[in-house]
Amino acid sequence: MTGAASAGDEDPGPLVRPFAVTRGRTGKDLHGLDILTLVTAARSEGDSAGLDREYREILRLCQHRALSIAELAAHMNLLLAAVKVLVGDLIDGGYLIHRPPPALAAVPDINLLQAVLDGVRRL
Amino acid sequence: MYEDSNSIRNPDLGGAQAVKILIAGGFGAGKTTLVSAVSEIKPLRTEERLSQIGASVDDITGVDGKSTTTVALDFGRITISSEVVLYLFGTPGQDRFWFMWKELSEGALGAVVLADTRRITDCFGSLDFFESRSIPFIVAVNCFDGAELYAEDEVRHALDVGPRVPIQFCDARHRGSSKEVLVRLLEYLMATARESTFDALR
Repeated sequence: MTGAASAGDEDPGPLVRPFAVTRGRTGKDLHGLDILTLVTAARSEGDSAGLDREYREILRLCQHRALSIAELAAHMNLLLAAVKVLVGDLIDGGYLIHRPPPALAAVPDINLLQAVLDGVRRL
Repeated sequence: MYEDSNSIRNPDLGGAQAVKILIAGGFGAGKTTLVSAVSEIKPLRTEERLSQIGASVDDITGVDGKSTTTVALDFGRITISSEVVLYLFGTPGQDRFWFMWKELSEGALGAVVLADTRRITDCFGSLDFFESRSIPFIVAVNCFDGAELYAEDEVRHALDVGPRVPIQFCDARHRGSSKEVLVRLLEYLMATARESTFDALR
């Protein structure tokens, strides 16, 4: 990462900093990523050795489990929009697979609601 | 061993599904308290910038400095089964902005509107939002210590919600009480879903 420090004395300000990790990209084609899109690693951590730190961190967090974009953003202390760009890159590179949240039909899925109700009752 | 030496695994998201319920209400109504009470993890916080939300911005140079307010979003997680995970999203702390978070409400199973009877008008914005978007919701009256107690019909009248919208009294600090709020919401969602299935068949 070429951080703000190397750019001289001028503080780039809040417009730049959150997207420094994405090299300023805020994302266009993001695979329709949602805050609840689940992602999981398609490759082992060892495969990510050549990647930047944030990419490696995402792959480390997603080994052998599915995490939502929201959880990744919270764990990494990054803006959701920035995480979507990074995750999009990793999907493009074949490092991650993803699944969008279920689209709610006009009539909700009774079985899904029942499963959620049962789960909450067990709390 | 084979798996370790093989760089590309055969990953599988199986039947994994992520669903969400929104916890709304005025500032200080107890949204994060309720999420904390039932979440299996300490609530996480993530942030988004309003200038990014819902916009197809592809270049940061066009972002106006005045429109870069950051909204925080607290959420918890309940593992329902090996396949289903429920996320509880407290609507962002800056209540005057949260309704701009379109993505947050899309696909939500339903919502809980927390009402504080000492500041009952604070939740009007949330009620309007869910009513206008036809997102099913219940009202949970958070009974703060020392708050005057009201009857259900008084609350219903003050909030001007329809007779079918469940109103549940709770103490958001307590796990059991907050759990009952979620149960009440889900029972209501199921009843509503059954009716719409019935209507569709008629």
